[in-house]
Amino acid sequence: MPKIEVLTETFYRDLGQKYTDEQLEEILPSAKAELDGRDDEAGVLKIELNDTNRPDLWSSAGLVRQLKTITGNEIPFYNFFSNEEEEFECAERIVEVDPKLENIRPFIAAFAVTGKAVNEAVLKDIIQTQEKLCWNFGRKRRSIAMGVYRNDLITYPVQYRAADPDAVRFVPLQMEQELSLRQINEQHPKGKEFGHIVAGFPLFPFLDDANGQVLSYPPVINSADIGAVQEGDSELFIELTGTVHDDVLLAASIVACDLADSGFTILPVKIVYPYDTDYGREVVTPYYFQKPAAAELTYVHKLLGYELSPDQAVKALKRMGIFSVCDEGMLYAVVPEYRNDFLHPVDVIEDIMIGHGMKNFSPIMPDSFTFGRITREEEFARKVKDIMIGLGFQEMMYNYLGSRKNFITRMNTEGAEYIQIANPMTENYEFVRASVIPSLVESESVSGNAVYPHKIFEVGKTAFLDAEDNSGTVTRNILGFLAADTAIGFNEISSTISAILFYLNRDYMLKELEDTRFIAGRCAAVYVGNTRAGLFGELHPVVLENWGIQMPTAAGELDLDLLLSNT
Amino acid sequence: MDIDVKSLHPLEIKVLLHVQAGEQLTSEKIQTELGYKLGQCNQAFSWLSAKQLIEETSRVTRIQYELTGLGKSVIEIGFPGERMFKLLQEHGALPLPRIAEILGLDKSDIGSAFGKLSKQGVFGMTAEKQAELRKKVLPRDLILARELVLRGADGPVENESLTEEEREVIQSISKKRGAAGAPFRVVEREDIIYTLTSAGIEAAAVLRAKQITGEELGTVTQEMLASGSWKNKTFRSYSLNAPPSRVLLGRRNPYAEYLQWVKDKLVSLGFEEFDGPLVETEFWNGDALFMPQFHSARDIHDVYYVKEPAYAREIPQPYLDQVAAAHEDGWKTGSRGWGYEFDRDFTRRQVMRSQGTVLSAKQLPKAEIPGKYFGIARCFRYDQVDATHGADFYQTEGIVLGEDVNLRTLLGLLKMFAEEVAGAEEVKYVPGYFPFTEPSIEVHIKHPVLGWFELGGSGIFRPEVTQALGIDVPVLAWGLGIDRMALMHLGLNDLRDLFTPDIESVRMRRGK
Repeated sequence: MPKIEVLTETFYRDLGQKYTDEQLEEILPSAKAELDGRDDEAGVLKIELNDTNRPDLWSSAGLVRQLKTITGNEIPFYNFFSNEEEEFECAERIVEVDPKLENIRPFIAAFAVTGKAVNEAVLKDIIQTQEKLCWNFGRKRRSIAMGVYRNDLITYPVQYRAADPDAVRFVPLQMEQELSLRQINEQHPKGKEFGHIVAGFPLFPFLDDANGQVLSYPPVINSADIGAVQEGDSELFIELTGTVHDDVLLAASIVACDLADSGFTILPVKIVYPYDTDYGREVVTPYYFQKPAAAELTYVHKLLGYELSPDQAVKALKRMGIFSVCDEGMLYAVVPEYRNDFLHPVDVIEDIMIGHGMKNFSPIMPDSFTFGRITREEEFARKVKDIMIGLGFQEMMYNYLGSRKNFITRMNTEGAEYIQIANPMTENYEFVRASVIPSLVESESVSGNAVYPHKIFEVGKTAFLDAEDNSGTVTRNILGFLAADTAIGFNEISSTISAILFYLNRDYMLKELEDTRFIAGRCAAVYVGNTRAGLFGELHPVVLENWGIQMPTAAGELDLDLLLSNT
Repeated sequence: MDIDVKSLHPLEIKVLLHVQAGEQLTSEKIQTELGYKLGQCNQAFSWLSAKQLIEETSRVTRIQYELTGLGKSVIEIGFPGERMFKLLQEHGALPLPRIAEILGLDKSDIGSAFGKLSKQGVFGMTAEKQAELRKKVLPRDLILARELVLRGADGPVENESLTEEEREVIQSISKKRGAAGAPFRVVEREDIIYTLTSAGIEAAAVLRAKQITGEELGTVTQEMLASGSWKNKTFRSYSLNAPPSRVLLGRRNPYAEYLQWVKDKLVSLGFEEFDGPLVETEFWNGDALFMPQFHSARDIHDVYYVKEPAYAREIPQPYLDQVAAAHEDGWKTGSRGWGYEFDRDFTRRQVMRSQGTVLSAKQLPKAEIPGKYFGIARCFRYDQVDATHGADFYQTEGIVLGEDVNLRTLLGLLKMFAEEVAGAEEVKYVPGYFPFTEPSIEVHIKHPVLGWFELGGSGIFRPEVTQALGIDVPVLAWGLGIDRMALMHLGLNDLRDLFTPDIESVRMRRGK
């Protein structure tokens, strides 16, 4: 979930009033936001945004817009959006797209801003917007990347083209020498981070102007001149490239609205595609592409459990910055330019809920009668635990992930049945336990100072490979137990097994077992009927030595699922 | 001073009753007059001193010589010098190695005995390098040494009882620290003289008044019961507050007990438990929950992937087709969907279950309406393990299905959990976000100990989730963060402690 920092002073100035932390915590939930902390020295508030489908909130300007709407009850208005029917004049501001980009990174949206010098707060917010949008919403620049440039240095039309990564060279930001696009991937920190996104294509995306002056190599890095924006610049060119047209358009709309809110004038740019898009071959951006959302009022009532009048519903949406009308029981909402999170009528209903105010919905108890019950496995597990406690065992609980060293190597086994994690964070959590015994043995190894005898058990899950299953694995409920003392051996554990199975009312038989974890001839497989339901034995001194255990130790386990199905 | 004579041991009682005020009390006196063993005596004195019933008046250190194991064998077979003397008397001159052989002694022992006695003129060496006898009697020190070991056999030899000459001899055959074996060892003994304190005199008076003799019966034995020997005797009162010895018992793990309490609570509220495997597919772990396959939470750095088998063989139909369609264009759910091409290979990719909601989704196709279900599910997250993050941990999740459930019944449900499970004093609802619910609500509670915190997340399952899994009624979904309450309940503040392997810490752990 994105976290943003806003300059406290700018934030409250834009909001039009100062709030105490308590007041802020009252209004932030309407944007699904929480105050995460503050740094008074730097003069910033840290705010966490919970809704991953609301990238419009991930900037100071965007958050202010939402909060002002709900407190001031005014729907924001933007006059620079083109749409299907109406197109703004762009004069020379044109971006021409290379046909070869269609299968590489086909979409671009752009606009210029003017009317005000860029100050520190604006620059900081633009950079933050760029980061959050491209990282969280743009999947680490894979689907959206954004560039900001000095508009006064650009000669239109701008060319968005597919370039030869070895032939095309320019000086990237943060460097002094010219590098080819491929060299940027290899040498520049941003190239190393983002170059992989396009590295698999024969040609890379590239932006330059009518004079061949380089803007950038999207989605990686800007050029060091046109692409180096500073405080005091008063004309900016902003572009966003990506793989999903709606996402690129939405992200551009969000940035444009943020800058308009900060007092800039937005100058639209015409994108000319050589191929068809959902919105034609010529798209003037910022572009309003959203379709109205609708919800039947009866559905609103059903889901919220509350009969709002049409007027109440329209007013609730207005508080969320959404214009709507109600016609013959159907609520039509005009989706704001900076949002695209209305997939289903339920999404409209949630905005109605927030706009109407959580406080205005009183809880009622669900009144349908249902049976409560635990699973058969849980019922059985409780019975087993009772027996173990009667036998003097202490119940333990363990992590299910562990290392090869603990689960396999130290246990003196091959571990062929163990499920391995493909992307472990560390080797400490690389395998799923296929047996409870290593967990119990680890306990013994760290508990040499605890008063003896040690008698411990766990009823928990194990999972292991099993080709029969659709997943190639099975999960089982297992009883594992261990005893360690000066005179613990096969006979003591055999008595334990006998007592457990007597009270579980299962007849059993012991058969010879070959298992390198145990001393040969002092371990056994436990059969219930024809099913092998468990094993036990004296742990081999090799295992004890591997774990640094100096007390005779015996252990065993029983598959409770098998016992349960074998009555 | 208030004297609790019940706390006195018979060993103490008999001592108190035996000595008079002002009389000198020594270990020797008690051993001879009351027949105590030295250990019993020491115990009685140490307990009485601790209770300030007797006090030390003087302390004298004396030295004793105690016979060692070697000393005892010397009595039987003699000192090496004595034995050599006897052998040479019988056989005449013999070479030293031969003597060692016959007597079964080390050459070095023979050598040193020969050297010492030669100096005293008892032995000499012939021209043929044979040891011979030059005197007819043993030297005086060897005779004295024999007398001393014989005295040692009757008990420690007091240093005070020895003549100057004897003392010299005994020291020469006593073991010193670090030296090899010798017939005697030197022991320092402390003679402590005690007298009764005024409290001791008082205690003795109370004992006499209560007719406590120290001969009362202690442990009830089988013999006592069989023979009836207890009749006409009294039983000694035991000290009630003496620290009892530790019992090791079989016991539940308090965290497991807490989870069971939560389960029972939910069962009592009409919820049925569900469960499922630890290994899941992307289909159930995310797709069925309408999380787009490119969602940031489904990144490789959030979920643990299973290495082998990387893919499940198949995903059950018709759910696969319906879920895929819901993602692509909304299917018939009234949604426009996510508008991307659903990846049917990716959906079979196997992961370690990362959220308990998986079980809620899997329950939908087999759920009854109305129905209430819950599970406490072990989940796995790609997270740095620390005090607030575990590699695997429990999540408590559930669903409520019904024609008439809605936002307000969801709020009611949350209120019920807040009060019944968390013991909350106040409840606050705020809008939340979860990919699979809309609307989504977080419930914050004011806990009597923990203050305000987020108890859980909830919402109404999106129709893209429910309808694709065959359910046409609203479904409330909820999850409770009970770990925080569990930690508080157990007096812990580190999640890792919930699964500690340390036996002693689990043994000592108690719930609140």
